Amino acid sequence: MNISKIANLKFFYTNTRKISYYMSFFVMILFIIGIYWGLFIAPEDYLQGDSYRIMYMHVPAAWLSLQTYMVMAITGFIALVWKIKIMEIISIQCAPIGALFTIIALVTGMVWGKPTWGTYWVWDARLTSELILLFLYIGVMVLYASINDKRQAVKITSLLAIIGLINIPIIHYSVEWWNTLHQGPTVTKFDKPSAHTTMLYPLLYMFIVFNIYFITVIIKRVRLGIYAREKNSKWMEEYTDD
Amino acid sequence: MINMLVKKELALYFRNLNNIFLPLVFFFLIISIFPLVLGPEKNLFDKIIPGIIWITAILTTILTSNNFFKDDFNNGIIEIYLTSDMSVELVLFLKIISCWFFTCFPILIFIPLVSLLFSIPFQNSMVILLTLFIGTPVLISIGIFGSALTLGLAKNNILTPVIIIPFYIPVLIFSASAIEAVSTGLPFEMQIYILAALLILVLPIMPYLLKYTLGLSINN
Repeated sequence: MNISKIANLKFFYTNTRKISYYMSFFVMILFIIGIYWGLFIAPEDYLQGDSYRIMYMHVPAAWLSLQTYMVMAITGFIALVWKIKIMEIISIQCAPIGALFTIIALVTGMVWGKPTWGTYWVWDARLTSELILLFLYIGVMVLYASINDKRQAVKITSLLAIIGLINIPIIHYSVEWWNTLHQGPTVTKFDKPSAHTTMLYPLLYMFIVFNIYFITVIIKRVRLGIYAREKNSKWMEEYTDD
Repeated sequence: MINMLVKKELALYFRNLNNIFLPLVFFFLIISIFPLVLGPEKNLFDKIIPGIIWITAILTTILTSNNFFKDDFNNGIIEIYLTSDMSVELVLFLKIISCWFFTCFPILIFIPLVSLLFSIPFQNSMVILLTLFIGTPVLISIGIFGSALTLGLAKNNILTPVIIIPFYIPVLIFSASAIEAVSTGLPFEMQIYILAALLILVLPIMPYLLKYTLGLSINN
Protein backbone atom coordinates (compact mmCIF):
# COMPACT_ATOMS: atom_id res chain seq x y z
CA MET A 1 0.00 0.00 0.00
CA ASN A 2 1.16 3.47 -0.77
CA ILE A 3 2.42 5.41 2.22
CA SER A 4 1.12 8.71 0.91
CA LYS A 5 -2.34 7.21 0.76
CA ILE A 6 -2.31 6.36 4.47
CA ALA A 7 -0.94 9.79 5.24
CA ASN A 8 -3.88 11.33 3.43
CA LEU A 9 -6.15 12.82 6.09
CA LYS A 10 -9.37 11.81 4.41
CA PHE A 11 -8.21 8.24 3.86
CA PHE A 12 -7.07 7.96 7.47
CA TYR A 13 -10.24 9.44 8.90
CA THR A 14 -12.68 7.38 6.88
CA ASN A 15 -10.84 4.08 7.35
CA THR A 16 -9.93 4.04 11.04
CA ARG A 17 -13.39 4.44 12.55
CA LYS A 18 -14.09 0.73 12.95
CA ILE A 19 -10.49 -0.15 13.79
CA SER A 20 -10.33 2.32 16.66
CA TYR A 21 -13.74 1.17 17.88
CA TYR A 22 -12.75 -2.49 18.09
CA MET A 23 -9.24 -1.83 19.33
CA SER A 24 -10.50 -0.13 22.47
CA PHE A 25 -12.35 -3.31 23.51
CA PHE A 26 -9.37 -5.42 22.55
CA VAL A 27 -7.05 -3.30 24.72
CA MET A 28 -9.45 -3.47 27.64
CA ILE A 29 -9.44 -7.28 27.53
CA LEU A 30 -5.65 -7.34 27.25
CA PHE A 31 -5.40 -5.03 30.26
CA ILE A 32 -7.65 -7.24 32.37
CA ILE A 33 -5.56 -10.30 31.47
CA GLY A 34 -2.33 -8.44 32.27
CA ILE A 35 -3.58 -7.13 35.60
CA TYR A 36 -4.81 -10.59 36.60
CA TRP A 37 -1.46 -12.06 35.59
CA GLY A 38 0.48 -9.43 37.49
CA LEU A 39 -1.67 -9.30 40.62
CA PHE A 40 -2.58 -12.96 41.13
CA ILE A 41 -0.40 -15.33 39.10
CA ALA A 42 3.03 -13.72 39.39
CA PRO A 43 4.87 -14.87 42.54
CA GLU A 44 5.34 -12.72 45.61
CA ASP A 45 8.60 -10.88 45.97
CA TYR A 46 10.61 -12.20 48.91
CA LEU A 47 11.85 -8.73 49.83
CA GLN A 48 9.04 -6.32 49.01
CA GLY A 49 6.07 -8.65 49.41
CA ASP A 50 3.01 -7.78 47.38
CA SER A 51 3.80 -4.10 47.09
CA TYR A 52 6.13 -4.69 44.16
CA ARG A 53 3.13 -5.64 42.01
CA ILE A 54 2.45 -1.98 41.26
CA MET A 55 5.47 -2.14 38.99
CA TYR A 56 3.24 -3.80 36.38
CA MET A 57 1.64 -0.39 35.94
CA HIS A 58 4.55 1.78 36.97
CA VAL A 59 7.39 0.49 34.80
CA PRO A 60 5.51 0.30 31.45
CA ALA A 61 4.07 3.77 32.10
CA ALA A 62 7.55 5.14 32.75
CA TRP A 63 8.93 3.51 29.60
CA LEU A 64 6.01 4.74 27.54
CA SER A 65 6.39 8.26 28.89
CA LEU A 66 9.85 8.44 27.35
CA GLN A 67 8.87 6.57 24.21
CA THR A 68 5.94 8.91 23.61
CA TYR A 69 8.26 11.89 23.81
CA MET A 70 10.49 10.24 21.21
CA VAL A 71 7.49 9.61 18.95
CA MET A 72 6.40 13.22 19.41
CA ALA A 73 9.83 14.58 18.53
CA ILE A 74 10.43 12.23 15.57
CA THR A 75 7.01 12.82 14.01
CA GLY A 76 7.53 16.52 14.67
CA PHE A 77 10.82 16.34 12.81
CA ILE A 78 9.14 14.59 9.87
CA ALA A 79 6.39 17.20 9.91
CA LEU A 80 8.90 20.04 9.88
CA VAL A 81 11.10 18.62 7.14
CA TRP A 82 8.65 16.90 4.79
CA LYS A 83 5.51 18.87 5.73
CA ILE A 84 3.31 15.80 6.07
CA LYS A 85 0.02 16.92 7.59
CA ILE A 86 -0.79 13.75 9.49
CA MET A 87 2.60 13.80 11.17
CA GLU A 88 1.84 17.28 12.51
CA ILE A 89 -1.36 15.97 14.05
CA ILE A 90 0.31 12.84 15.47
CA SER A 91 3.11 14.91 16.97
CA ILE A 92 0.90 17.28 18.92
CA GLN A 93 -1.58 14.60 19.95
CA CYS A 94 1.27 12.67 21.59
CA ALA A 95 1.72 15.39 24.21
CA PRO A 96 -1.38 14.77 26.37
CA ILE A 97 -0.92 11.00 26.18
CA GLY A 98 2.71 11.29 27.20
CA ALA A 99 1.76 13.60 30.06
CA LEU A 100 -0.80 11.00 31.16
CA PHE A 101 1.83 8.23 31.15
CA THR A 102 4.18 10.47 33.12
CA ILE A 103 1.50 11.19 35.72
CA ILE A 104 0.68 7.46 36.00
CA ALA A 105 4.37 6.67 36.48
CA LEU A 106 4.76 9.39 39.11
CA VAL A 107 1.62 8.49 41.07
CA THR A 108 2.26 4.74 41.07
CA GLY A 109 5.87 5.44 42.01
CA MET A 110 4.69 7.49 44.98
CA VAL A 111 2.26 4.77 46.05
CA TRP A 112 5.07 2.21 45.82
CA GLY A 113 7.46 4.49 47.67
CA LYS A 114 5.34 4.79 50.82
CA PRO A 115 5.68 1.14 51.99
CA THR A 116 9.17 0.69 50.50
CA TRP A 117 10.98 3.90 51.36
CA GLY A 118 8.61 5.06 54.09
CA THR A 119 7.83 8.29 52.25
CA TYR A 120 5.81 9.25 49.23
CA TRP A 121 8.43 11.34 47.57
CA VAL A 122 12.21 11.27 47.50
CA TRP A 123 14.21 13.75 45.49
CA ASP A 124 16.13 11.06 43.70
CA ALA A 125 17.37 11.03 40.17
CA ARG A 126 14.66 9.11 38.36
CA LEU A 127 11.70 10.67 40.13
CA THR A 128 13.10 14.12 39.51
CA SER A 129 13.83 13.59 35.84
CA GLU A 130 10.36 12.06 35.39
CA LEU A 131 8.91 15.19 36.98
CA ILE A 132 10.95 17.36 34.63
CA LEU A 133 9.65 15.27 31.73
CA LEU A 134 6.13 16.14 32.88
CA PHE A 135 7.07 19.82 32.77
CA LEU A 136 8.46 19.39 29.25
CA TYR A 137 5.13 17.87 28.14
CA ILE A 138 3.22 20.68 29.84
CA GLY A 139 5.45 23.22 28.07
CA VAL A 140 4.58 21.72 24.69
CA MET A 141 0.88 21.67 25.54
CA VAL A 142 0.66 25.25 26.82
CA LEU A 143 2.65 26.52 23.86
CA TYR A 144 0.29 24.73 21.48
CA ALA A 145 -2.75 26.04 23.32
CA SER A 146 -1.59 29.64 23.27
CA ILE A 147 -0.98 29.96 19.53
CA ASN A 148 -4.17 30.60 17.62
CA ASP A 149 -3.07 29.39 14.19
CA LYS A 150 -2.84 25.66 14.84
CA ARG A 151 -0.69 24.76 11.83
CA GLN A 152 1.80 27.39 12.94
CA ALA A 153 1.51 26.12 16.52
CA VAL A 154 2.41 22.57 15.51
CA LYS A 155 5.54 23.74 13.72
CA ILE A 156 6.74 25.58 16.81
CA THR A 157 5.88 22.80 19.25
CA SER A 158 7.63 20.29 16.98
CA LEU A 159 10.76 22.39 17.17
CA LEU A 160 10.43 22.56 20.95
CA ALA A 161 9.95 18.78 21.11
CA ILE A 162 13.06 18.15 19.00
CA ILE A 163 15.18 20.44 21.18
CA GLY A 164 13.69 18.72 24.21
CA LEU A 165 14.63 15.31 22.81
CA ILE A 166 18.24 16.46 22.51
CA ASN A 167 18.02 17.86 26.01
CA ILE A 168 16.40 14.88 27.74
CA PRO A 169 19.61 12.78 27.94
CA ILE A 170 21.53 15.80 29.20
CA ILE A 171 18.89 16.47 31.85
CA HIS A 172 18.66 12.80 32.72
CA TYR A 173 22.37 12.25 33.17
CA SER A 174 22.91 15.50 35.03
CA VAL A 175 20.07 14.66 37.39
CA GLU A 176 21.36 11.10 37.77
CA TRP A 177 24.80 12.41 38.50
CA TRP A 178 23.30 14.87 40.95
CA ASN A 179 21.75 12.20 43.11
CA THR A 180 21.32 8.47 42.95
CA LEU A 181 19.23 6.79 45.59
CA HIS A 182 16.95 4.70 43.43
CA GLN A 183 17.40 0.94 43.18
CA GLY A 184 19.34 0.05 40.07
CA PRO A 185 17.59 -0.95 36.87
CA THR A 186 16.46 -4.53 37.25
CA VAL A 187 15.14 -5.32 33.79
CA THR A 188 17.82 -4.23 31.38
CA LYS A 189 20.43 -6.54 32.86
CA PHE A 190 19.68 -9.50 30.63
CA ASP A 191 22.97 -11.31 31.17
CA LYS A 192 22.18 -11.87 34.84
CA PRO A 193 18.52 -11.03 35.37
CA SER A 194 17.76 -9.94 38.89
CA ALA A 195 14.03 -10.40 38.32
CA HIS A 196 12.78 -13.95 37.86
CA THR A 197 11.19 -14.75 34.51
CA THR A 198 7.84 -15.51 36.13
CA MET A 199 7.85 -11.89 37.27
CA LEU A 200 9.44 -10.57 34.11
CA TYR A 201 7.02 -12.02 31.54
CA PRO A 202 3.95 -10.21 32.89
CA LEU A 203 6.00 -7.01 32.86
CA LEU A 204 6.98 -7.42 29.21
CA TYR A 205 3.37 -8.36 28.44
CA MET A 206 2.16 -5.17 30.13
CA PHE A 207 4.72 -3.18 28.16
CA ILE A 208 3.26 -4.55 24.92
CA VAL A 209 -0.29 -3.85 26.14
CA PHE A 210 0.68 -0.28 26.99
CA ASN A 211 2.06 0.08 23.48
CA ILE A 212 -1.18 -1.20 21.97
CA TYR A 213 -3.06 1.19 24.25
CA PHE A 214 -0.86 4.02 23.00
CA ILE A 215 -1.60 3.13 19.38
CA THR A 216 -5.33 2.91 20.09
CA VAL A 217 -5.47 6.26 21.83
CA ILE A 218 -3.28 7.97 19.27
CA ILE A 219 -5.58 6.78 16.47
CA LYS A 220 -8.59 8.14 18.35
CA ARG A 221 -6.89 11.43 19.09
CA VAL A 222 -5.59 11.83 15.55
CA ARG A 223 -9.14 11.30 14.31
CA LEU A 224 -10.26 14.12 16.60
CA GLY A 225 -7.38 16.28 15.39
CA ILE A 226 -8.29 15.63 11.77
CA TYR A 227 -11.89 16.49 12.53
CA ALA A 228 -10.90 19.75 14.23
CA ARG A 229 -8.75 20.73 11.27
CA GLU A 230 -10.98 19.59 8.43
CA LYS A 231 -14.45 20.13 9.85
CA ASN A 232 -15.26 22.79 7.26
CA SER A 233 -13.96 20.86 4.29
CA LYS A 234 -16.31 19.32 1.80
CA TRP A 235 -15.43 15.67 2.28
CA MET A 236 -15.85 15.92 6.04
CA GLU A 237 -19.33 17.38 5.70
CA GLU A 238 -20.26 14.66 3.24
CA TYR A 239 -18.80 11.97 5.46
CA THR A 240 -20.48 13.12 8.66
CA ASP A 241 -23.83 13.50 6.87
CA ASP A 242 -23.92 9.79 6.14
CA MET B 1 27.10 46.91 7.98
CA ILE B 2 27.96 44.81 11.00
CA ASN B 3 29.71 47.82 12.52
CA MET B 4 26.54 49.83 12.23
CA LEU B 5 24.50 47.08 13.82
CA VAL B 6 26.90 46.84 16.75
CA LYS B 7 26.75 50.60 17.16
CA LYS B 8 22.96 50.46 17.06
CA GLU B 9 22.85 47.79 19.75
CA LEU B 10 25.28 49.69 21.94
CA ALA B 11 23.35 52.91 21.44
CA LEU B 12 20.11 51.19 22.36
CA TYR B 13 21.57 49.92 25.62
CA PHE B 14 23.37 53.13 26.54
CA ARG B 15 20.59 55.49 25.59
CA ASN B 16 18.32 53.82 28.08
CA LEU B 17 20.54 53.07 31.04
CA ASN B 18 17.59 51.39 32.75
CA ASN B 19 18.37 48.39 30.58
CA ILE B 20 21.65 47.99 32.42
CA PHE B 21 20.69 49.13 35.90
CA LEU B 22 17.34 47.46 36.33
CA PRO B 23 18.61 43.86 36.12
CA LEU B 24 21.32 44.73 38.62
CA VAL B 25 18.88 46.37 41.03
CA PHE B 26 16.50 43.46 40.59
CA PHE B 27 19.29 41.03 41.38
CA PHE B 28 20.18 42.83 44.62
CA LEU B 29 16.54 43.23 45.58
CA ILE B 30 15.82 39.51 45.30
CA ILE B 31 19.07 38.57 47.07
CA SER B 32 18.25 40.86 49.99
CA ILE B 33 14.73 39.51 50.33
CA PHE B 34 16.01 36.05 51.28
CA PRO B 35 17.42 37.05 54.70
CA LEU B 36 14.14 38.75 55.50
CA VAL B 37 12.21 35.58 54.79
CA LEU B 38 14.60 33.00 56.19
CA GLY B 39 16.02 34.87 59.15
CA PRO B 40 19.58 36.18 59.41
CA GLU B 41 21.35 33.08 60.80
CA LYS B 42 24.83 32.80 59.37
CA ASN B 43 25.08 28.99 59.36
CA LEU B 44 21.99 28.68 57.23
CA PHE B 45 23.24 31.16 54.67
CA ASP B 46 26.66 29.54 54.41
CA LYS B 47 24.81 26.52 53.13
CA ILE B 48 22.22 28.02 50.82
CA ILE B 49 23.74 31.23 49.46
CA PRO B 50 25.04 29.61 46.22
CA GLY B 51 21.54 28.37 45.50
CA ILE B 52 20.09 31.79 46.25
CA ILE B 53 22.55 33.50 43.93
CA TRP B 54 21.77 31.04 41.15
CA ILE B 55 18.00 31.25 41.53
CA THR B 56 18.27 35.02 41.44
CA ALA B 57 20.46 34.85 38.34
CA ILE B 58 17.83 32.65 36.69
CA LEU B 59 15.04 35.09 37.50
CA THR B 60 17.10 37.97 36.15
CA THR B 61 17.99 36.22 32.89
CA ILE B 62 14.38 35.16 32.39
CA LEU B 63 13.11 38.68 32.82
CA THR B 64 15.75 40.23 30.59
CA SER B 65 15.46 37.72 27.77
CA ASN B 66 11.69 37.32 27.95
CA ASN B 67 10.70 39.96 25.41
CA PHE B 68 14.04 40.02 23.66
CA PHE B 69 12.73 40.18 20.07
CA LYS B 70 9.54 42.10 20.84
CA ASP B 71 10.75 45.56 19.75
CA ASP B 72 12.54 44.28 16.67
CA PHE B 73 9.46 42.28 15.76
CA ASN B 74 7.12 45.23 16.14
CA ASN B 75 9.50 47.46 14.14
CA GLY B 76 9.68 44.89 11.40
CA ILE B 77 13.46 44.78 11.64
CA ILE B 78 13.52 41.00 12.02
CA GLU B 79 11.91 40.53 8.61
CA ILE B 80 14.56 42.81 7.15
CA TYR B 81 17.30 40.80 8.82
CA LEU B 82 15.88 37.55 7.52
CA THR B 83 15.39 38.76 3.96
CA SER B 84 18.64 40.69 3.65
CA ASP B 85 21.80 39.13 2.23
CA MET B 86 23.96 39.66 5.29
CA SER B 87 24.72 36.95 7.80
CA VAL B 88 21.72 36.77 10.10
CA GLU B 89 23.55 34.28 12.31
CA LEU B 90 26.28 36.81 13.01
CA VAL B 91 23.71 39.47 13.88
CA LEU B 92 21.91 37.12 16.24
CA PHE B 93 25.19 36.05 17.81
CA LEU B 94 26.11 39.68 18.44
CA LYS B 95 22.67 40.30 19.91
CA ILE B 96 23.09 37.38 22.32
CA ILE B 97 26.52 38.57 23.36
CA SER B 98 25.41 42.15 23.84
CA CYS B 99 22.36 41.06 25.85
CA TRP B 100 24.64 38.99 28.09
CA PHE B 101 27.19 41.77 28.39
CA PHE B 102 24.74 44.42 29.44
CA THR B 103 22.51 42.41 31.72
CA CYS B 104 24.68 39.68 33.26
CA PHE B 105 28.13 41.16 33.24
CA PRO B 106 27.19 43.97 35.70
CA ILE B 107 25.91 41.28 38.05
CA LEU B 108 29.22 39.43 37.79
CA ILE B 109 31.06 42.61 38.72
CA PHE B 110 28.98 42.93 41.86
CA ILE B 111 29.38 39.31 43.01
CA PRO B 112 32.31 40.26 45.29
CA LEU B 113 30.00 42.74 47.02
CA VAL B 114 27.40 39.99 47.50
CA SER B 115 30.17 37.82 48.92
CA LEU B 116 30.93 40.55 51.45
CA LEU B 117 27.28 40.84 52.45
CA PHE B 118 27.02 37.13 53.12
CA SER B 119 30.65 36.69 54.23
CA ILE B 120 31.48 34.07 51.62
CA PRO B 121 35.17 33.02 51.64
CA PHE B 122 37.27 34.38 48.78
CA GLN B 123 37.85 31.07 47.01
CA ASN B 124 34.16 30.16 47.10
CA SER B 125 33.13 33.51 45.74
CA MET B 126 35.64 33.11 42.90
CA VAL B 127 34.06 29.77 42.01
CA ILE B 128 30.58 31.31 42.16
CA LEU B 129 31.85 34.02 39.83
CA LEU B 130 33.34 31.42 37.48
CA THR B 131 30.16 29.34 37.30
CA LEU B 132 28.09 32.47 36.67
CA PHE B 133 30.55 33.61 34.01
CA ILE B 134 30.26 30.32 32.15
CA GLY B 135 26.64 29.57 32.96
CA THR B 136 24.80 32.83 32.35
CA PRO B 137 25.55 32.97 28.58
CA VAL B 138 23.90 29.55 28.31
CA LEU B 139 20.90 30.74 30.30
CA ILE B 140 20.60 33.92 28.22
CA SER B 141 20.83 31.93 24.96
CA ILE B 142 18.13 29.49 26.07
CA GLY B 143 15.95 32.36 27.26
CA ILE B 144 16.32 34.12 23.92
CA PHE B 145 15.37 30.88 22.18
CA GLY B 146 12.23 30.79 24.32
CA SER B 147 11.38 34.36 23.41
CA ALA B 148 11.84 33.48 19.72
CA LEU B 149 9.45 30.54 20.12
CA THR B 150 6.73 32.73 21.62
CA LEU B 151 7.37 35.70 19.35
CA GLY B 152 4.01 35.82 17.60
CA LEU B 153 1.98 35.80 20.80
CA ALA B 154 0.37 38.85 22.28
CA LYS B 155 0.81 37.90 25.94
CA ASN B 156 3.64 35.58 26.84
CA ASN B 157 4.86 36.88 30.18
CA ILE B 158 4.69 33.62 32.08
CA LEU B 159 4.52 31.20 29.15
CA THR B 160 8.16 31.57 28.11
CA PRO B 161 9.62 30.80 31.57
CA VAL B 162 7.35 27.76 31.92
CA ILE B 163 8.67 26.42 28.64
CA ILE B 164 12.35 27.09 29.12
CA ILE B 165 13.08 26.53 32.81
CA PRO B 166 13.38 22.72 32.35
CA PHE B 167 16.19 23.44 29.89
CA TYR B 168 18.05 25.37 32.56
CA ILE B 169 18.41 22.37 34.84
CA PRO B 170 21.78 20.91 33.66
CA VAL B 171 23.51 24.29 34.05
CA LEU B 172 21.99 24.70 37.48
CA ILE B 173 22.96 21.26 38.70
CA PHE B 174 26.59 21.53 37.68
CA SER B 175 26.98 25.10 38.92
CA ALA B 176 25.46 24.32 42.29
CA SER B 177 27.55 21.20 42.65
CA ALA B 178 30.78 23.03 41.74
CA ILE B 179 30.07 25.59 44.44
CA GLU B 180 29.15 22.89 46.92
CA ALA B 181 32.33 20.99 46.09
CA VAL B 182 34.57 23.98 46.69
CA SER B 183 32.86 24.86 49.95
CA THR B 184 33.46 21.34 51.25
CA GLY B 185 37.04 21.31 50.02
CA LEU B 186 36.55 18.85 47.18
CA PRO B 187 37.87 19.30 43.63
CA PHE B 188 35.43 21.27 41.48
CA GLU B 189 37.23 21.30 38.12
CA MET B 190 35.09 18.55 36.57
CA GLN B 191 31.84 20.49 37.02
CA ILE B 192 33.46 23.60 35.55
CA TYR B 193 34.59 21.60 32.52
CA ILE B 194 31.09 20.24 31.99
CA LEU B 195 29.66 23.75 32.25
CA ALA B 196 32.19 24.93 29.70
CA ALA B 197 31.20 22.02 27.46
CA LEU B 198 27.55 23.07 27.71
CA LEU B 199 28.55 26.62 26.79
CA ILE B 200 30.55 25.40 23.79
CA LEU B 201 27.63 23.23 22.76
CA VAL B 202 24.94 25.89 23.06
CA LEU B 203 26.57 29.12 21.95
CA PRO B 204 27.62 28.22 18.38
CA ILE B 205 24.41 26.34 17.60
CA MET B 206 22.09 28.98 19.01
CA PRO B 207 22.33 31.60 16.19
CA TYR B 208 21.38 28.98 13.58
CA LEU B 209 18.59 27.66 15.75
CA LEU B 210 17.36 31.19 16.41
CA LYS B 211 17.32 32.02 12.71
CA TYR B 212 15.24 28.93 11.99
CA THR B 213 12.89 29.62 14.91
CA LEU B 214 12.40 33.24 13.90
CA GLY B 215 11.63 32.08 10.38
CA LEU B 216 8.98 29.72 11.73
CA SER B 217 7.51 32.25 14.15
CA ILE B 218 7.24 35.07 11.64
CA ASN B 219 6.02 32.97 8.76
CA ASN B 220 2.36 32.89 9.79
